[in-house]
Amino acid sequence: MLRPVSEETVDVLIIGAGASGAAIAWSLAETRMRIVCLEQGDWMKPEDYPSTRIGWELERFGAFGLSPNGRGRREDYPVNDAASPIRISNFNAVGGSTILYAAHFPRFHPSDFRVRTLDGLADDWPIDYATLEPFYGVNARMMGVAGLAGDPAYPPKEPPLPPVPLGKLGETVARGFNALGWHWWPSDSAIATRDYEGRAGCINLGPCLMGCAQGAKGSTDVTYWPPAIRAGVELRTHCRVREITVDAAGMADGVIYHDADGRERRQKAEIVILACNGVGTPRLLLNSASKHFPDGLANSSGLVGRNLMFHPYAHLLGVFPEPLEGYKGPTGCGIVSQEFYETDLSRGFARGYSYELTRGIGPVGTALLAMSKGRMPWGDAHHDAYAEVWDRTAGMVAICEDLPEAHNTVTLDPELVDADGIPAPRIDYTLSENSRRMLDHAVARGCEVLEAAGAKESYADAPLGVAGWHLMGTARMGTDPATSVVNEWGRCHDVKNLFVVDGSVFVTCAAVNPTNTIQALALHVGDRIKKNLANLFD
Amino acid sequence: MDETSYTDAERAALAAVLDTLLPRSRDGRLPGAGELGLGAEIERDVPQLAPMVKAALARLDDDAGAGGFAGLDPAGRTEALRVHAEGDPGLLPGLLFQVYTRYYVAPAVLEALDLEPRPPWPKGYAMDPTDLDTLLEPVRAGPKRYRDA
Repeated sequence: MLRPVSEETVDVLIIGAGASGAAIAWSLAETRMRIVCLEQGDWMKPEDYPSTRIGWELERFGAFGLSPNGRGRREDYPVNDAASPIRISNFNAVGGSTILYAAHFPRFHPSDFRVRTLDGLADDWPIDYATLEPFYGVNARMMGVAGLAGDPAYPPKEPPLPPVPLGKLGETVARGFNALGWHWWPSDSAIATRDYEGRAGCINLGPCLMGCAQGAKGSTDVTYWPPAIRAGVELRTHCRVREITVDAAGMADGVIYHDADGRERRQKAEIVILACNGVGTPRLLLNSASKHFPDGLANSSGLVGRNLMFHPYAHLLGVFPEPLEGYKGPTGCGIVSQEFYETDLSRGFARGYSYELTRGIGPVGTALLAMSKGRMPWGDAHHDAYAEVWDRTAGMVAICEDLPEAHNTVTLDPELVDADGIPAPRIDYTLSENSRRMLDHAVARGCEVLEAAGAKESYADAPLGVAGWHLMGTARMGTDPATSVVNEWGRCHDVKNLFVVDGSVFVTCAAVNPTNTIQALALHVGDRIKKNLANLFD
Repeated sequence: MDETSYTDAERAALAAVLDTLLPRSRDGRLPGAGELGLGAEIERDVPQLAPMVKAALARLDDDAGAGGFAGLDPAGRTEALRVHAEGDPGLLPGLLFQVYTRYYVAPAVLEALDLEPRPPWPKGYAMDPTDLDTLLEPVRAGPKRYRDA
């Protein structure tokens, strides 16, 4: 017997309080509709973040690890990613994966929406850069984007906050790019570089990837959620949705979820919006199979869970002769290079990649990283070897565009379940030949730039196994119901009161961090819902 | 006594092993891992490591003769540990992970690295501004980098 919270049917039910769920909740709040968001995690407490403790680096191996499989939190769900060289890195809380993200906040390029037209690959999006441009602007204000206007790699844009400091490390690497005549620019970052909209300005703590104790990083628990809640949106935590239910006509009519005590409850709704990321959304759609939808909800195309895209990463590390103060400053934000972004087939691959500066390696990380590279001896030689690398390493990642391939999938694991007994996702993914060639190119050119910057030696790791941060493509957007799951404004072709607003809807994934585009899309969908309320289900 | 508890002799041998892995630095600024008391932390925090470590300590003591491993001089300890590790390949990676993750958060070590022994928050770190106009000059002078679409 299901226990309803109430008999009330809410107007809008949003599943997931992360990047996209928060954005669309805020967008729709002005309608004064009754909006409820169900989130399987809880509010995070900034005082609990590792940077408040001297042993902050160690928590990467525990409660603030990248993989949900290793954290041991009830709020997370397990993922069987044994059949993938890239493992899932997500987080479940109010704010979702923005709690642990780097807040590197680039936009897509105009060409990223026209991959088929320009490069004869994959598909074009049913929308273009101009469609999202106004929502990128709104999102920049809401998330608090720091950056610098004038980047020749982009159409004009005006970040509202000044860029994050480059520091010695960033300046050193930037001079390497200059020496080669290559593009670089200060990163667009969702980091409040001064006090902004109630958030304290960044004080260069370093460990952004384990939550921001200062509250300067733009995670949605400190950006979109406070104004959305003030505007009347109800956010319920510790509510894990088991399935979306449908009525006799095949329209979504609500969800069944588990509350904090694991009890099953029901919430009815007129509109259901999925905001669960590129793994959680197909998982829930597949878990919502029914008489009307035997292959999973909204899956007449057979594409729910297919075309999973990551961004294959290469990690590069240079060892320099002088201290770089690399433990100071935002971990993943500093400078970006898009020298190799647009397609040039003479490089041996299609599409391209970005370089991003990385820093924030503390004393423990320095030792472990050097040990993994075989250059951290024990015994009498240890201290001299350590002195050669401590505060003398600069990191970069290359973030490569992945192309959609139907055989890269999210399905339901036949055995693995979460703490509420709900079938967990299974990932099957292989790295394409195009991605391998791109990674090889990125490693070779990346070592070149580090050496041009003065590195004595450099190391590379590709693909980076822990880098399954960006989960995209598994409920793709399009105008043809036979080849896509949702339409050009996120509405499921098969279920006209069911929307998807997370990275699942990506047609292609560009070569930049996706959160800014995910949120711009959520705002775009919210805008279309508001404009079409009178005939939303036609 | 269960298999995760150490005897006093084992504790002394473990301290000697840790001081061999990370000895006091030549200038004396950095302490040895054993003298820093990391053995007690490993005993307390990582009981699952105890069977492997205790077996290794017993073997090292046996091989060292009457004075045991702790009775060897530094060069003798290093050689004994090196020889042992060849036949026990899991020991050092597991032990070094535990040692590094404790040693490099110890206040005495952080101070020796010229770091304040404190968490990053709430004080944070000051960073000097960059002259971006000068540094970006060649990039601004370059061509448009994106394709119209």
